[in-house]
Amino acid sequence: MLELVQQITNGVAIGSVYVLIALGLTTVFGILGIAHFAHGSVSMFGGYLVYVLVASQGVSLWLAIPVALIVGMGVGGLIEFLAYRPVRNANHINAFIIALGLTMMVEGINLQLFGADQVVIPTGFDRVFEIAGVTIPETRLYVILAATVLVIAMTAFVEGTKTGQAIRAVAQNRDAAILMGVNVRSIPLIVFAMSTMLGVAAGVMVGSLFAIAPGVGEAMVVKGFAVLILGGLGSIPGAIIGGLVLGVTEALAAGFLSSAYKDVIAFVVMIVVLLFRPQGLLGGAK
Amino acid sequence: MLEVSGLKAGYGQIEVLHGIDFHVNQGECVALIGANGAGKSTALKTVCGLVKPRGGTVRFQGRDITGASGHEIVRAGITMCPEGRQVFPEMTVLQNLKLGAYTRRDAEQADDLDDMMQMFPILRKRARQAAGTLSGGEQEMLAIARALMARPKVCIFDEPSLGLAPKIVAEVAETIARIKARGMTILLVEQNSLMALKLADRAYLFEVGKVVLEGTGEALQQNPDVARAYLGD
Repeated sequence: MLELVQQITNGVAIGSVYVLIALGLTTVFGILGIAHFAHGSVSMFGGYLVYVLVASQGVSLWLAIPVALIVGMGVGGLIEFLAYRPVRNANHINAFIIALGLTMMVEGINLQLFGADQVVIPTGFDRVFEIAGVTIPETRLYVILAATVLVIAMTAFVEGTKTGQAIRAVAQNRDAAILMGVNVRSIPLIVFAMSTMLGVAAGVMVGSLFAIAPGVGEAMVVKGFAVLILGGLGSIPGAIIGGLVLGVTEALAAGFLSSAYKDVIAFVVMIVVLLFRPQGLLGGAK
Repeated sequence: MLEVSGLKAGYGQIEVLHGIDFHVNQGECVALIGANGAGKSTALKTVCGLVKPRGGTVRFQGRDITGASGHEIVRAGITMCPEGRQVFPEMTVLQNLKLGAYTRRDAEQADDLDDMMQMFPILRKRARQAAGTLSGGEQEMLAIARALMARPKVCIFDEPSLGLAPKIVAEVAETIARIKARGMTILLVEQNSLMALKLADRAYLFEVGKVVLEGTGEALQQNPDVARAYLGD
């Protein structure tokens, strides 16, 4: 029983990272219909940035993270403006091709700037807490807490502010949103800035929990899309639940069956869910 | 107040409006009537900035707003209650109404919200329900209330009776009459010509992208050609 709780706790930590990645993907997809494949690589760029600031520049972690989050917002806005906006009214395949090209480009930039070695962000968090017999390393606890705070903040932004409501409105009916007086040209910028910021937070978490290396971002984006499909395309609660389900399934598979097959088992669970709910866990029938 | 002259617009290769003229005075209810595909809805969409004009001008309160973006036109004071209602289905009735006031910064929004709930008691009952779960008639009331939440100077209704049961159509007509009685300037497009002409002070008859007839609502009702072609006599 204790072992089960332990594995679930581990799964929630990994799942938190998936949730943050998937939240960015799902908002971009829900509002703009873009499958933003470069999201994982951009997120890892943020992780690398924190690594460089902390490891080589000696900046405090607590300064490096906010700096990276702000840079992430800027990068997200730039990506929307320079890469996706020009193909806004073109055939969907154009945005798809841009997304693929952008992924290669950002991966290449990461490789040029940060090298091919795997890096681990030196957080200095090496304590291990024990709560009722369940052990949880300090970093994992902070990851779960930070993800919770970010999810709450994003929900508050979307549900509680005019801009957040405008974002939802554009996702549901673009023309009607224009008739409400929403400037639909500024919404994609805000969405990309927000999504990329969440992605950078996930990148920092990957760099602190595991390691960042070439290809990790692409692997994360595949997991992110798996979560999206599992939870329901474009659904924010779906991304949260889907991310946690994937993380916990992986952890249970690794803990009780085989860590070599954890990805296979996670995807099998996903396929089984989709057999019974093709629209995803929280997706509406469309 | 609103003056449209020589307006041309279309989609792709096809020109739908071949230079139309109409105007709406302060406090007036003006109807655009005509058959399906005559260009009435396109005219509204062009005024509202959803379709880009290809010629002509739109002036509002003396200001040229030709080709302005949709959100700028809302800010100028023209709000449209769109065809097919187009409420935000996954948001609650309350959230829909608040979005109607998106451009406003004043402190009276809560009062207006209450006012709308007074005018449409069903919306108060359904306030926390997702708009997509409302019936067609209820959604129409929500769309109208949402448009009024912007406190527009001109309120445009695009086919408000479309797809509604006859009893609800009468209710919609009565609602528009009430809004007019409050002094709102109204531009109305309706396929239900009889309803439109009864509501309207003045009306324009559209035929294939041109205005072919203009007159008071009453005069058009009595015009034998209009009666034969559009009123089903």
